[in-house]
Amino acid sequence: MTSQVDADDATLIGRSLDDPEVFAALFDRHAPLLHRYAARRLGPSEAEDVVADTFLAAFQRRGDYDRGRPDARPWLYGIASNLIGKRRRAETALYRAYIRSGVHPAEIPGAQVEDRLDTLAVNRPLARALLALKPADRDVLLLVAWAELSYQEVAAALAIPPGTVASRLNRARIQIRHALEEGD
Amino acid sequence: MDALKAMWETVPPATPDDLARARRRLIEEMGGRRRLITVPRLLVAAAAAAAVVIPLINGLGTPAYAVTKNPDGTITVTVNELRDPAGLEAELRSVGIKADVSFLAPHTRCAGPRFAGVDPSYGTRPHTEAELKWGAEHWRSLQVIKAIPAGHRIGIHPEYIRPDETLVLEIRDDQNPKVLWTLGAWLAEAGTPVKPCTPVKD
Repeated sequence: MTSQVDADDATLIGRSLDDPEVFAALFDRHAPLLHRYAARRLGPSEAEDVVADTFLAAFQRRGDYDRGRPDARPWLYGIASNLIGKRRRAETALYRAYIRSGVHPAEIPGAQVEDRLDTLAVNRPLARALLALKPADRDVLLLVAWAELSYQEVAAALAIPPGTVASRLNRARIQIRHALEEGD
Repeated sequence: MDALKAMWETVPPATPDDLARARRRLIEEMGGRRRLITVPRLLVAAAAAAAVVIPLINGLGTPAYAVTKNPDGTITVTVNELRDPAGLEAELRSVGIKADVSFLAPHTRCAGPRFAGVDPSYGTRPHTEAELKWGAEHWRSLQVIKAIPAGHRIGIHPEYIRPDETLVLEIRDDQNPKVLWTLGAWLAEAGTPVKPCTPVKD
């Protein structure tokens, strides 16, 4: 019984080949945070579509999943990154709207005014900096910062060598740092 | 990096309501891919280097099907020909199995949903957490039938059937040299109806 309780993602994906319904467990396990990641990047309504399309694509490709990888997050975030990449206009529109209004459409309102002003002072330059990044660099940076994937996991997600992850991340960090210094 | 991690950190993880539509889309996608058992043509594969199709239809006077009750309580169904499902249902009834049998032409399936399944294997209802944790292999619909490739036989394990549940069988011969049958087997909830099979292209 305990082995069933702790079934890892690869086991669930393997079972879902014979019993497709088991794939819903993968959705229940990962969709809430995947949605949050997509909502930070695109806003809530686009995020719902990205989550739905990510899991549909993953379900259809589950036979190709490398079951030597117990954690499916890199796979799922890789699919989501591709889908987010196709909605680049929505992403840049969200950053621009935030820079103008200081409001992110998915944030919980009600933070104290002083905190909110401090946050805005940091976030506005960050949003500008994210907008200026190359899309490939932004993917790597945000998979590390917001999806909390490791270098290796980002490499697996985006199907790029770890060295490329490191160089893109480095370049993005430098740009972000400059943007914050200028923001001060 | 810390400032970036904190950026829009108050965006909350999605709630089940936020995800309901996405989940429904996934479940619908799964619905078209209900669990089916593909029974390999083991004997043919072993016997022939070149692929040979042995059709189930025969004209030698062999009965279309036979139902045998075994000493261990299991029931063996031998299907020689995909014909006369009502007769097979009657034979099964005589050994205590309430069954609904459909034989399907190649590359067709019964349009669904036809009934409410006792577990998520038929795809008409989402799983409960307990069912997933216990593992799909323990769902009764998946345990009640064991395909026996040699000799066109199906083993039924009545201990997994509760009173007044219906064993629903959908059997298809795709005339595939490697696959003898595609067999769908599920349990319908006790006392609930099973709609007749309307074949649609699969």
